[in-house]
Amino acid sequence: MADVSVKKGLTKGVIKLTVLLGISFLFLFVLGKLLPTPTEDGYRVFPLIGSRVWVWIIAQLHLNFAAFVLGVPIFAVSMEFLSWRRSDERLDRIAYDFTKLFTLAYTITAAVGTLLLISLPVLYPKFMDHMMKILGPTWWLYIVVMYVEVMVCYYYYYSWHKMKDNKGTHVAIGGLLNIMGVIMLLITSAWVGYMTTPAGVSETGELLSRWKAIKTHMWIPLSIHRLCANVVFGAGIAASYAAYRFIVAETDEDRAYYDWMGYTSAMISIGFSLILPGVGYLLGVEIYSFNEQMGIQLMGGFFAWLWVMQAILIGAILMFVNYYLWISLNKMPGGERYFKYVKYLFVTMLLGYAVWLTPHSVALSLDEARKMGTYHPVLGNLGVMAAKNTAVVITYLATFLSFAIFKMSNKEAVVSWAKLGNALRGLIVIGSTVIVLILGVYSYMVSSAVRVKILSPIQFGVFFLAIVALFILDAKMFKGAKILGEPRWGKMPERSQYALIGITVTFTWLMGMMGYMRSGGRQYWHVYGIMQDTSPDAFLPTHGFASVVTSILTVIFFALMGLLFYGIMKLEKKGGQGGAKA
Amino acid sequence: MKGGAIKLFVLVVGINIFFAYIGLYFLPQSQSLPPKTIKIEKGIAQDELIAAGETILFGKGQCMVCHPMKPESGMRAPAIATIGADMVKAAKERNIPIENYVFEGLVNPAEYIQKGFENMMPPVHKAPTSLTEGELIAVSAYLQSKGANITINYPDSVPILQDEIKKETKKGGNG
Repeated sequence: MADVSVKKGLTKGVIKLTVLLGISFLFLFVLGKLLPTPTEDGYRVFPLIGSRVWVWIIAQLHLNFAAFVLGVPIFAVSMEFLSWRRSDERLDRIAYDFTKLFTLAYTITAAVGTLLLISLPVLYPKFMDHMMKILGPTWWLYIVVMYVEVMVCYYYYYSWHKMKDNKGTHVAIGGLLNIMGVIMLLITSAWVGYMTTPAGVSETGELLSRWKAIKTHMWIPLSIHRLCANVVFGAGIAASYAAYRFIVAETDEDRAYYDWMGYTSAMISIGFSLILPGVGYLLGVEIYSFNEQMGIQLMGGFFAWLWVMQAILIGAILMFVNYYLWISLNKMPGGERYFKYVKYLFVTMLLGYAVWLTPHSVALSLDEARKMGTYHPVLGNLGVMAAKNTAVVITYLATFLSFAIFKMSNKEAVVSWAKLGNALRGLIVIGSTVIVLILGVYSYMVSSAVRVKILSPIQFGVFFLAIVALFILDAKMFKGAKILGEPRWGKMPERSQYALIGITVTFTWLMGMMGYMRSGGRQYWHVYGIMQDTSPDAFLPTHGFASVVTSILTVIFFALMGLLFYGIMKLEKKGGQGGAKA
Repeated sequence: MKGGAIKLFVLVVGINIFFAYIGLYFLPQSQSLPPKTIKIEKGIAQDELIAAGETILFGKGQCMVCHPMKPESGMRAPAIATIGADMVKAAKERNIPIENYVFEGLVNPAEYIQKGFENMMPPVHKAPTSLTEGELIAVSAYLQSKGANITINYPDSVPILQDEIKKETKKGGNG
């Protein structure tokens, strides 16, 4: 990859993609001839682990890589834009490092995608015929967009140094790359949206309106949710990369750079994750408005305990983040002044976590509900959305406070109204917490429609208003502030880097589990209510089984990521364009 | 460098084993199987019809996703324990035969929403629930058994059920 010209780089990208697509179609043709004909209801069985588990692992791996290559360019370009406007070399280096990561990851993404492209029509021919009949043109559009995206991506990467004096145009190319990424995301979300909340077809699955089959209830909210999650995930992987490089760094200079890169990536990841509950909520509202039963099944039926698992995972992520930020106070001159607040933040996090973990409908099956009732008499009150939303909002607010404390810990406000400013900060934090609590209590007294459509969004709104207000206030208050010393980048214990990696591993596991739940929400349907799954796998496995599969695919994903990181380091050793200091 | 990579490998695998362990040993283990269609034979005895209705209610019908057995605060849909008596009262208020009222509640539920509840029940003769005529009649008989005289049977009640399905179809459904 080092010192490759733009033309050669582009050619390489196009050849790679064409070869992979060629392999797909060749395999489809050959396997179609060699394998026995599908069963009467349209299935073939994958040996040993079965078709479902195979497609589950491959699809999730593809999705993980796709999330990475669609998410990272967003902030790589943002960083490049900032580096261009501020003439900041360090931002340019981090943007380039991100670009190197996702450009190399494209090859693995395409290879795993090829496996999926072969597996689906071979193992589920009838289902894929149906999907082609309904959404066929979008599949061809996908291939075209994929070519354009790969070409733009390779051009963006290989022209980095050549266009260093023409940054504006280079940033614009990065912008185009992101537009192509969003189009890809919209196309794939349309497929999932149709499978889960189908529209535009008759009850027997005949196409009535292709546009309606694309524009389903789930399409846009799922796309928005995925877009935000991709940034969170992509930034998380970049933070892991930086953490890995920090751990293996041999010079203080490298440690300082990768400490800063890890911090920046992790904060982008966490910053965007603040939006996720809100956009996830919008997605939930759309699922409910498509079919209340599906929504209830997803939130409180068979999957009720997986929401407890989700709470464990998100709580673990937030704990990792807070732990990282609290340790980071050590590298800030003046940071020790804020140690005393850490215990209060910890208790708040813990209480919020406990409420978040409490399940509502503890009954796992309808049979259990018959025996023990739907809700727990005491804990059921803490398990409802009124309590959970409140706990989630307060936990996120505590995390934002940890971040705000870290940011200002090496500064001392010198404005004349500093005391008033501090009082205002306290008022915003306590005031917003009280409002969120009052709204939470009031939520118990209103109908679910009022709670879901009015009060919960207001709670999230109060949270966002609070962080925006704090952000603006801090910017004004600490303008021209006395700096007690620059952050001592690189002066971090190794364990802080494990926290960063812990965040990404947990988030990847969470993505795997949520993907399973979203897919499992269809229960025994390929296309909900339209095309039934009559294969031997048409059941939801135990939570234990789903957890094991999720762990296996997460380990495979990180093993592949490890190879990618290793490849980058090897290229750097060879020098040239691949070098981190290029 | 090698030491760092090994530590990271152990960390990644360790976290994944930990989450798999929680999934395996801290969460309840049960599968969710696709429902089976219950065949209702002509001339089925009333107690058998009611028993079949109960099985469908807790199984294929997925009614318990929303309907609690006993009244609870904040319940999404009417409680089953007294639903037979409640339906008789509502049918009298609307001045329609009880059989029509019960079937309407299943196949054309948006037609009448009890006070205090929202319009969220799907017509259960359609996908994804797809109850058959026999299953609908069994569920109806079971619902009547909760505090009312049982007047619905199979196959005598089929024409009334079909009338209600037709009304739903005319309203805009596809039947």
